[in-house]
Amino acid sequence: MGEYVVEMLNITKIFPGIKANDDITLQLKKGEVHALLGENGAGKSTLMSVLFGLYQPESGTIKINGETVKINNPNDANSLNIGMVHQHFKLVEVFSVLDNIILGVEPNTAGVLKRKEAREKIVALSKRYGLSVDPDALVEDISVGMQQRVEILKMLYKNNEILIFDEPTAVLTPQEIKELMDIMRGLTAEGKSILFITHKLNEIIEVADRCTVLRKGKYMGTVTVADTTKEELSRMMVGRDVHFTVEKKDIPLGKVVLQAENVTVASKRHKNNAVKNISFSVRAGEILCLAGIEGNGQSELVYALTGIEKVSSGKLTLNGTDITKASIRRRSRLGMSHIPEDRHKYGLILEYSLANNLVLQRYWEPEFQKSGFINEAKVLSYANKLIAQYDVRSGQGAHTIVRSMSGGNQQKAIIAREIDKHPELLVAIQPTRGLDIGAIEYIHAQLVAQRDSGKAVLLVSLELDEVMNVSDRILVMYEGEIVGEFNPRETTVEQIGLYMAGAKRDTPASGNKTETDSKKQRLE
Amino acid sequence: MIIFADIMNATIIFAIPLLVVALGGMFSERSGTINIALEGIMIVGALFSCLYLNSVSKSGWGADHPLLAMLFAILIAGFSGIIFSLFLALASVSLKADQTIGGTALNMFAPAFAIVLTWAIQGQGQTTIEIPTWVRITQQSLGLTPSATPNFMETFIFKNLFLTTPVVLLFLAITVFVIYKTRFGLRLRACGEHPQAADSVGINVYRLRYTGVGISGFLGGIGGLAFTIAAGSGFQSTVAGYGFFALAVMIFGNWKPVRIFGAALFFALFKVIGSYTGSISFLPRFEGVKSADYIYQMLPYIVTMIVLIFTSKKSRAPKAEGIPYDKGTR
Amino acid sequence: MMTKFKKIVQSPGFSSFLASVASIGIGLIFGYLILAVINPSMSLYGLGKILFAGASDAERISKVLYQAAPLLMTGLAVGFAFKTGLFNIGATGQYTMGAFFALYAGIILKMPWWAALLAAMVGGAIWGAIPGICKALFNVNEVITAIMFNWIGLFAVNLSLLNIPKILDKVSANRTVNLAVANKSAIIPKAGLDTLFGSSYMNISILITAGIAIVIYIVLNKTTFGYELKACGLNRNASIYAGINAKRNIILSMVISGGLAGIGGGIYYLSGTAQFLVVKSLLAMGFNGIPVALLATSNPVGTIFSSLFVSYIQVGGEAMQPQFSPEIINIIISVIIYLSAFSMLLKGLINRLLTRQNSKREKEMELKASSVIDDSKSIQPEAANANHSESEDVNK
Repeated sequence: MGEYVVEMLNITKIFPGIKANDDITLQLKKGEVHALLGENGAGKSTLMSVLFGLYQPESGTIKINGETVKINNPNDANSLNIGMVHQHFKLVEVFSVLDNIILGVEPNTAGVLKRKEAREKIVALSKRYGLSVDPDALVEDISVGMQQRVEILKMLYKNNEILIFDEPTAVLTPQEIKELMDIMRGLTAEGKSILFITHKLNEIIEVADRCTVLRKGKYMGTVTVADTTKEELSRMMVGRDVHFTVEKKDIPLGKVVLQAENVTVASKRHKNNAVKNISFSVRAGEILCLAGIEGNGQSELVYALTGIEKVSSGKLTLNGTDITKASIRRRSRLGMSHIPEDRHKYGLILEYSLANNLVLQRYWEPEFQKSGFINEAKVLSYANKLIAQYDVRSGQGAHTIVRSMSGGNQQKAIIAREIDKHPELLVAIQPTRGLDIGAIEYIHAQLVAQRDSGKAVLLVSLELDEVMNVSDRILVMYEGEIVGEFNPRETTVEQIGLYMAGAKRDTPASGNKTETDSKKQRLE
Repeated sequence: MIIFADIMNATIIFAIPLLVVALGGMFSERSGTINIALEGIMIVGALFSCLYLNSVSKSGWGADHPLLAMLFAILIAGFSGIIFSLFLALASVSLKADQTIGGTALNMFAPAFAIVLTWAIQGQGQTTIEIPTWVRITQQSLGLTPSATPNFMETFIFKNLFLTTPVVLLFLAITVFVIYKTRFGLRLRACGEHPQAADSVGINVYRLRYTGVGISGFLGGIGGLAFTIAAGSGFQSTVAGYGFFALAVMIFGNWKPVRIFGAALFFALFKVIGSYTGSISFLPRFEGVKSADYIYQMLPYIVTMIVLIFTSKKSRAPKAEGIPYDKGTR
Repeated sequence: MMTKFKKIVQSPGFSSFLASVASIGIGLIFGYLILAVINPSMSLYGLGKILFAGASDAERISKVLYQAAPLLMTGLAVGFAFKTGLFNIGATGQYTMGAFFALYAGIILKMPWWAALLAAMVGGAIWGAIPGICKALFNVNEVITAIMFNWIGLFAVNLSLLNIPKILDKVSANRTVNLAVANKSAIIPKAGLDTLFGSSYMNISILITAGIAIVIYIVLNKTTFGYELKACGLNRNASIYAGINAKRNIILSMVISGGLAGIGGGIYYLSGTAQFLVVKSLLAMGFNGIPVALLATSNPVGTIFSSLFVSYIQVGGEAMQPQFSPEIINIIISVIIYLSAFSMLLKGLINRLLTRQNSKREKEMELKASSVIDDSKSIQPEAANANHSESEDVNK
């Protein structure tokens, strides 16, 4: 069939101990938008990395426009006009948009750069495809949506015809997602063919022509989107019926546990404040969720709450005690627990044993040490208790060096440690990031259990599904301010999206808005 | 008045080795490798080039072709530096070892090797490799006649002039051009800031990092020769910590070539100022303190520390430096 | 019995040990090659001296032990700093300061030896605090700070010595006066060991320092203080999250490290057989602490053995004169350091060779561990702990 522009036939890719792709076949028609659907660990990124030349398959064939090819590196992929926009942008922050686009394909005479030539081409391309950018802006200064456009321009500049997008909407607001969908339709209208990796069913329904589903490295099937439903897709994806909602008891609201009054926190990245004069409270028996696109002040607010950063002004009270200037340890003693955003950076000491990590917040208590000497037997028995109770799996039990544990079990260890303190307030940031469905369900159950037992939970999440299903009350943050408060049962994802994007707000805006305040993401 | 020309000339002579080594360090760090081994590289470059100068001096060829001999010496210094720096590159880039430890090993190896080699060639006890006098460019050697009483310009240029000075200044200009205006410079910088991005567009990060380290070897070796010439008493298997000074200069110059030049001049001035206490009235002489020149010897180090304390908070190092690049990490 | 033996052989600790032994072996071979190039006929003689001279007579054995003591201290200093995530290249400056404080206390203030040693510790501790403070408060690279202060320390001590006439020897005015003349009580006691070993060099310094090594081992591994220090070194962010005062701990560990190096200076110069010379170059004893620490992978007890080893080959090196320059020993030592820079690799290779019979499951665990990135950690001079957040994307 001459209509296939890409054929990946019987691809198998093995990593030590893992068969990431097991005899997978994928066929892309010219001018179509083809979605690649699967959970974490399904093998989607691996398959696309094979197509892009980053990995070599153990077996299988790749055909481009009917011809069998070997793709050994991104240069080969590029000469076959294949391009890829990665989930973590591959942009050099301190370079300009122009320099990022030409990197690797620089127009030059004997090595000396010819930027003017490139500039003209970029301006022409951006006009043609409706991708407006400023070629001289530094990447670190532009918004995430614009950065993605730079990545797209990179592909167009190299005359790529086959465009691969890896989870492109993870970092965008609902409005930006709509814009991206329009851009994709524009690209296919011009004859480009698009492959896009996702685990979001709405987007597939919205923009894809066909969809291939992978599960645990195996090929599940290809469907035409117009002929299928969300339920069928999700069943193919996980192999069982997925519960989209979380079971919660009806609990009476208790007293205020955390009170934040007029809290302002400075930003490390720019001159304005990251958190501007915010006030809110969390009560016993509720899960309050702070929603918003990453980069709107949630991280800074949480760091201020937990003591990792200072507040510039304002007051924080925990069960009546003023903790505004309290040390981290004091807050912990007063009943605050923190499940951090980045488990490797803050949550664990990877070279320590599991036991030593499990007592990270309590090693100084009289139970575990005497006159400065650690009671190793006590530490071990405590660790074993937690391991059994929370089903934390590892190679050598309490003596395992944490670095060798899987992400899900590392997160379970952190959760075990933080919840076992029976905290009055549990602060959880992105607790389920990067984990599979089983682990996600487990963690949600733990959060709900805390709430059901009359404690307070503050959840910060970027996953709208999680936000809607788990929380009792939602506060949306935009540019450092709270712009709206919602009851998840009485609102929709679209409504929240509007507030997240700043298109709507319930509270009057404060002063200074700058370019740099806009939604940003840490570039990887 | 002449005294100031004197001081400026001396400052430049000491700034040149700082400048060239700091530029070398910049190339290495901008490509992503911290080069702690600059001290060792300087020693190796100085060792081989001085041995060369010594031997062509003995044969007489050197005195007949001073400029040509110096040019060869510079090249030898550079190339021996490259070879030595490859050991650092091997450990840091290919084997992904700890860059500080690898550098420290090389820094220990170089002076020990220099002493052993000098001992083997010149015999026990002869630890200095003499530098011939004809390396100095005088007005006579260029065919000019000096004025009866020395004037400002003559003193400024000719008091101590060696081929290394204009060569290094040329390298400075080339560096500015290469880093900002060429494809190579763009790619090099990408490797030091975001190697994954560079790799994803098909750039060979390993090769570029090797090149960055190699260039630092080349410039560092030349710096060793320039230092030995400036110090004036022949090669004694040491460069007195200049390799680390150069790192401070690089940090103070925020990894930018022209600022590095300014920083080098700044530090060299403090090194030099101690010898002029007699001639300049406002420099304190510390009468009554024995061996007061130790105070002035401490001065450049103290000034370096003060400057670093004030500038380190805002420093903008290449983002991916010091982190070995592993293709597997995505 | 067999399984216990197997367990030991397959443990990571044993592989570390073998990796160190391999580094030493390669270093010695390299040294031999240099000897062979310089003077082929005498090369075996030279190698023989390196390998055996240290144990050849009582005098030499005593010298090995007596020189091992200060090396052990600087090795402990560097190793302690390593464990807490810092590279203390300033050990030589702290050592020099320690020596100065000890000599001043002994000669001018006429204090007894143990008080002078305490003074040495204080001197080293102060000098160690400086790079710690600069790093913690101003984010200045601790390697460069330490090097600058090595030189500042050298010049400051020289300046001070030359301006305190009473401290100097009457005859050779560039060295300190002999302690036997100035203040006998400042000399470290021999406790009969000199007659036992048959050499006037021998004193209790090696015993004192070995005792200190054991104390340091206990502190690092059995106390909450050690737990906190290591946490700061391994992951500064996580230690802040755990409520540990990271800034204070960085300074504290540099203070302790400096204090240890300072004691080393005191130990050496209070022996009664060494006089402090005013020189223009940095004292080697401080730098030699680095290979001592690396060979023992910073384990305080292991450092006892590595310091004995380095001292042993140094005595051998001295004995090679006049045919060969003793600097060859430094060449061997630098090769050993270079090899330890990729000890991880060596260790992994050796471990894999020894554990070929591993079950499939264990092998998968091991490979998974080595494929999880980011081995080189905080021993990088430049600022920010640039640890990217590891997402689970590896297996998508």
